Amino acid sequence: MADLITINVDGKDVQVPPKIQLIEALRTYAKVDTPAFCYHPDLSVAGNCRVCLVEVAGPRGFAFGIACHMQTAPGLTVKTQISSDRVKWARRGVMESLLVNHPLDCPICDKAGECTLQENYMNSGRHESRLPDDAGKQYKGGADHRFTDAKGNDRGGKKIDLGPTILLDQERCIVCSRCVRFMSEVAKEPQLAIAGRGDHAYITTFPGKPLTHGYDLNVTDVCPVGALTGKHFRFQQRVWNLKSVESIDPSDAFGANITIEYNNGRVWRLMPRRNPAVNKSWIANSTRLLYQQLAVNRLTDARVAGVDADLDAGVQAAKAAIAAAKKVALVASGHGTVEDNAALLALKDALGDKSEVFSGSWLAVGKADGIALSGDPVANRAGLAVLGLADNLDQLAQRAGEFDALVVFNHDLWGADAAKAAKLEAIPARVVLAAWNDATVAKATVAVGIRAWAEVRGTMVNSQGRIQLMHACPVLPNPALEPAWQVLAGFAGAVWASEAQAFAAAQARAARLAGLSYRAIGPMGAVLPQPALAAAGA
Amino acid sequence: MAKVIPRPDLGVWERLYIGEIVKGLMTTFGHAGKALTNPAHFPTLQYPEQQPDIPRDYRSRHRLMKRADGSPRCVACYMCSTACPARCINIVAEESPDKHIEKRPVRFEIDLLLCVFCGYCVEACPCDAIRMDTKQAILVGGDRASFVADKAKLMDWEPKDYPADDIQSQKAPGGTLNAKALEELRSGSDH
Repeated sequence: MADLITINVDGKDVQVPPKIQLIEALRTYAKVDTPAFCYHPDLSVAGNCRVCLVEVAGPRGFAFGIACHMQTAPGLTVKTQISSDRVKWARRGVMESLLVNHPLDCPICDKAGECTLQENYMNSGRHESRLPDDAGKQYKGGADHRFTDAKGNDRGGKKIDLGPTILLDQERCIVCSRCVRFMSEVAKEPQLAIAGRGDHAYITTFPGKPLTHGYDLNVTDVCPVGALTGKHFRFQQRVWNLKSVESIDPSDAFGANITIEYNNGRVWRLMPRRNPAVNKSWIANSTRLLYQQLAVNRLTDARVAGVDADLDAGVQAAKAAIAAAKKVALVASGHGTVEDNAALLALKDALGDKSEVFSGSWLAVGKADGIALSGDPVANRAGLAVLGLADNLDQLAQRAGEFDALVVFNHDLWGADAAKAAKLEAIPARVVLAAWNDATVAKATVAVGIRAWAEVRGTMVNSQGRIQLMHACPVLPNPALEPAWQVLAGFAGAVWASEAQAFAAAQARAARLAGLSYRAIGPMGAVLPQPALAAAGA
Repeated sequence: MAKVIPRPDLGVWERLYIGEIVKGLMTTFGHAGKALTNPAHFPTLQYPEQQPDIPRDYRSRHRLMKRADGSPRCVACYMCSTACPARCINIVAEESPDKHIEKRPVRFEIDLLLCVFCGYCVEACPCDAIRMDTKQAILVGGDRASFVADKAKLMDWEPKDYPADDIQSQKAPGGTLNAKALEELRSGSDH
């Protein structure tokens, strides 16, 4: 890191890096809570909301300056709301202007509870308006929920359909331009724009063009108010009723950081979790909507020879099939966690010479989009390499005749490539552990239900070589379901008490995981040492 | 920190006990005497043949207020269920087909067995959609499910049972006593 410089905040000297935005210095280093609507750490600086203003010493004494645009420099002297009543007074004025035209529909606004405007109103708003009741915009309802201003001019709609995923409420919009900047800077497809000037400015798409982009739902996150809301979450839950756990994107090797928000045994939405080294603040729409599949078409119990059975019976049948086989093919899964694959390797050790492990995937690898997807649908492909597993799934298809039992977990072989997988039907006993009723379960002789990605705790290694944690969300469709590592360890005759023990088993096999623990990995993940370095250290 | 409540300092007369008993019995005998001379003032109620007269502003079973067209006034904002200390209100919201209304409840259920009749839901409601003025304080049911008041049950009331000159359970913007309540708020008499 560059050398730190000293700035003075509220009479106290603070060590900060040079040439970072003052708002970041205040928030991160001086620990002064600085409000902002238009500033976003992963977008460019617009400086139009003015609410982050602080007093900065200049040649003519202290003057107001916006903290988001100003950069730190040696000798900078700043007064914030902590030491300056003028800052508080000015922020109240800014808030008053912003709130003149903002409707009071917080009770039916989906953003209520996580709305920046609401939070700042509680801190620095004028709690009583100085304006007459009929000033500002007036909601008149009617077709398209139009609203008008005090002079009767049409001022926009409360329910404008911007595209397949997003609704716009122009009355709530404070024209911070975050969504416009997201679309042009991050999505690189400027589909949103500000039209009109001054008090008449409004957010719109280009005439006749909808807002359609694989990342457009991120504008609902950057929106500091409830102007842009996703159709998938509209009126589903109030956000203060949601609980959350941290997890990672299970559908892509980039491992975008997410939070799973749930209550009453159901996941209601996935939100991006900021990790500057991975996905910044963004996730793809495809990632965000994964929760919709969580409760659909689940394998909640077991199936033995096509007949439904309870989980215990399924596990017994699977154990019997493995024990009876002369040669067992074990298929590792890049859709499972490191712990799951460690359990598979433990099963290989328990079976000894009569088993062989195959790894890899038949899913096509696409191109990285540079935002939050690597294009590789196998989320833990790097984790397989860390465990020393080679990509040799095609060999399994060629040598299928040698085996008389197949163990697959969390891996839809038939769904990935039915033609290649068809050769595996030569193996008489096919044990499949799956969370969903997929094509592979249909081909299984014994299928046992396991927990899905949102319901397990474990680690995955992303395409950057960063190991990241996923936490379990209590939304099991059947409380008896076990994670894959637990079932596989059971096949091996071992009883592993927790994910931590499974992770320790993985560490015993992979030098690159040495010295790590769930606590050391933490919410931001940990970069694994390069293979050569790990080998040198080992 | 625990609050310490000092014991009352008893005098000699109170410690003697007998005098206090006589004082207590005076109340009983007083009521008995009044009832004998004037049966209309009999202090006990022959329940359940006789039902108590519950005042309108007693916090009784809830009702959902209706708009002029008979749809619920509720906009499914969850303020009542958020305020509810017993977590007895279960709301499922949906998009309203009405052009003037954004959101409406598709389900609105109150589990009256969980309800503690605190009235927070009534206070929390931003549009005076829920009131507790049905005078139904004695609830009878055969099983637990029968105590879950759904939207239909909460809206099953007749305007004639709630005359405009009756005491309302609350004063809130949007209520039938709207103008009067606002006036009181402005004059500061109700703060």
